[in-house]
Amino acid sequence: MRRLIAAALGLTALTGCGGSARSSGDSKPGKKILRVAYDREIDVLNPFTSQNLVDISFSMIEGLVTTDETNRYVPVLATVIPTRENGLIVTKPDGTVDITWPLHEHVRWHDGEPFTAADVCFTWKFITSPHSETYNREQYLGITGCRTPDDHTVVFTWDGEYSYYGGLFEAVLPEHLLGTMTPEQIVNYEPYNRGSKTIGTGPFKFAEWKAGEYIRVVKNESYWRGPTYPAIDEIVWAFIPDANTRLNALESAQYDYGQILPTQVKQVANLAGYKTHLVSSNSVMHLDLNITTEHGRALFGDPDVRRAIFQAIDRKAIAEQLMEGTVVIADSPINPSSQFHNAAVRAVTLDPAGSKRLLDHAGWVPGPDGVRIKNGERLSFILLNRAGAADRIAIAQVIQSQLKAVGVEVGFETLESAAWTQRWRSGRWEAVVSLWFLPADPSLTGLYACDGANNMTGFCDPVLDTVLKRSDHTFSVAERKQSLDEAQNMLTDLARTLPLYYNVTPEVVSARVGNFRGSGTNFGSFWNLYSWTLSR
Amino acid sequence: MGAYLRRRLLQMVPLLFGISIVVFAVIQAAPGGPEGALLGTGRFIDPSVTLAYRHRLGVDQPVVVQYVRWLAAALRGDLGVSFSSTRPVADMIMERLPATLELMASSFLFAAIIATLLGTYSALYRHSTLDVIATGASFLGVAMPVFWFGLILQLIFSVKLGWLPVAGTGTIGATSLGDHLKHLVLPGLVLSFRNIAGWSRYLRSSLIDVRHADFVRTARAKGLRERTVVGVHAVRNALIPVVSVMALNVADLFSGAVITETVFAWPGIGRLFVQAMFARDYPVLMGILLMGSFTVIVFNLLADLLYGVLDPRIRYG
Repeated sequence: MRRLIAAALGLTALTGCGGSARSSGDSKPGKKILRVAYDREIDVLNPFTSQNLVDISFSMIEGLVTTDETNRYVPVLATVIPTRENGLIVTKPDGTVDITWPLHEHVRWHDGEPFTAADVCFTWKFITSPHSETYNREQYLGITGCRTPDDHTVVFTWDGEYSYYGGLFEAVLPEHLLGTMTPEQIVNYEPYNRGSKTIGTGPFKFAEWKAGEYIRVVKNESYWRGPTYPAIDEIVWAFIPDANTRLNALESAQYDYGQILPTQVKQVANLAGYKTHLVSSNSVMHLDLNITTEHGRALFGDPDVRRAIFQAIDRKAIAEQLMEGTVVIADSPINPSSQFHNAAVRAVTLDPAGSKRLLDHAGWVPGPDGVRIKNGERLSFILLNRAGAADRIAIAQVIQSQLKAVGVEVGFETLESAAWTQRWRSGRWEAVVSLWFLPADPSLTGLYACDGANNMTGFCDPVLDTVLKRSDHTFSVAERKQSLDEAQNMLTDLARTLPLYYNVTPEVVSARVGNFRGSGTNFGSFWNLYSWTLSR
Repeated sequence: MGAYLRRRLLQMVPLLFGISIVVFAVIQAAPGGPEGALLGTGRFIDPSVTLAYRHRLGVDQPVVVQYVRWLAAALRGDLGVSFSSTRPVADMIMERLPATLELMASSFLFAAIIATLLGTYSALYRHSTLDVIATGASFLGVAMPVFWFGLILQLIFSVKLGWLPVAGTGTIGATSLGDHLKHLVLPGLVLSFRNIAGWSRYLRSSLIDVRHADFVRTARAKGLRERTVVGVHAVRNALIPVVSVMALNVADLFSGAVITETVFAWPGIGRLFVQAMFARDYPVLMGILLMGSFTVIVFNLLADLLYGVLDPRIRYG
């Protein structure tokens, strides 16, 4: 019997010779290889048309700027970020604005062609085409013209003042490769999407994309920052979608970097040779109520009812117990790491007794089953849950039980991810716990203005609108800070939304890795990969 | 036999056509669209971008129009282009197929051998200690959630003991055949466990019945050795119902093991399916589901033909 089992095992082993077995030599030993346990397989490498976050692309493709761990812009292909003070922003008599970006010289694309200002203008033309499908295309539409006085200077003419000008052009496309194509052709151009012709100016060059397994990039030997950079020979992003598997893989020391869940942090607290960084993901977990539907309006139309609901929710318990103390309670949508965060705002204070008084005062009195009633309407609503989002569902359960204590009934409807997104975007829901990722520039207009593209709640306040729009159209940081401070105050006064906590991404990083600084923006923690080191 | 085969093959055409309609309708009936991935990132999305995206993919058209377009292309052998990766669906399936075939075939063979040995032993030595243990383990094997079992094996053999890798198909920077085979062990084991449990039970009960059949008594009466009676006469006949179950399971070889491949980050069809599902990548889903349906039909036919080989009394008309 034992012999037979051994034979069977041997047979199993023999059948393993085919398929995805690879010969050795893919990656030569002795090289400094950064091994990343990555949580998904991305769709395409074009950073403008990818539907995912594109931190892998940014290892190869650079833009005019990136953002650091404090959400500040850092010039990359630009030598400096234009401001009024350095004279690179000039408002003309007709109200239009010229913004000049000086570019680094001696920068070359991975195929050896020189990078010039024309590439930047070409990128602008692509993004603003109706067919580019760039997620933040709207922000580029204020640019009315692009000029290149020389190969290393690009001048954009804007039709007015736009505060977020500094965070655009996070990538630049190569005109010499894509210039003859239409935007539709570029969107569908497989060699650029898939790697064989994905060229950038970045510290790493594309090497291989093994479907379902990994993306491998190798050192750009002629990187423009000089021979010292990058200090790593190769990076492999292995796609490991399951969070528990990723944790196991990190615990068995197979990877140098990986993201885990906040609830897994304790498990790696004593992992030898690794450090867990709680990187602020520049996002805010929040509870939104919706007045788009008739039922929602009847329930939440009164700001006192919203305030009462918010007062009954123990955010401290959610942050400290549910999220195991890995996150920080939020009082405004803008992250404390941003210079535009208003530290004086307090969203709400936990006060269940006060909550009951407010509801009594608003005419919602306890019914026979304990649920409050007003004009025959029960204070009962459905919270839309996303299947698989364990953190949000747990929060929803806490909210459900805490609101029950003040006479508010919460039911659940759980939908699969894509279905949830569709419903959420359609506005046909009553309450939702969700997460917003803010760009480094924290414009709140899209979220809270009456016509905000991402305002699905039906709330509209003309005064808030004015303040928000004012914050978007100024080059003065002080003026902008003042407007955004005011907006954050108003969000609390109007009981517009309940910020719960600032989310973190726990990133487990090997002690071999040097110069890791983290970042919660679209660029992710790989924004400064060129300077990362890897000891043996 | 020839006429039978011809008739069965002809029947496949309307069957596949019907399946394609049902599958297309089911996929489209799921709420949410391919723009869900973009919107689900939590970033601020310009609504005109969503519209442009839907228009390029053609999902702003009525479902019937979309189906006719898909069918017309499929009849020309073109399964379309993936919404999310912009690559031909056929290429994507073909590059994932080897990994799935490798994983499934090795676990299938392993399970078949162990199940045959275990099932035969359990039937011959009913109520023995090993039989009782095997019966208990079988219930456990069928009941155990695959993702949980996979994670527990990772914890024991990778994290605690350090014997085997957690996931993937090779160690980064040090790939070799031996290394690759080590990566195959855990997912292969997880996948085979359930089949060993099921198949050995089928064989056990089938063999217990067959052992009391007339032809077995005749074989014994002829004076054949017990090993020949069991090996040549009893087990061969007892395998008939088991083979039909196995043949149906062979179809899984092509459709992949969705959960196992996800837990072990194995780059097969199963994971591609999960990715396509979440991204509402309709062309990829259609491609995989139709391929799965096709293989089920083919292996059903093969199972029917195999009956004749195992039992000469079965004739096809």
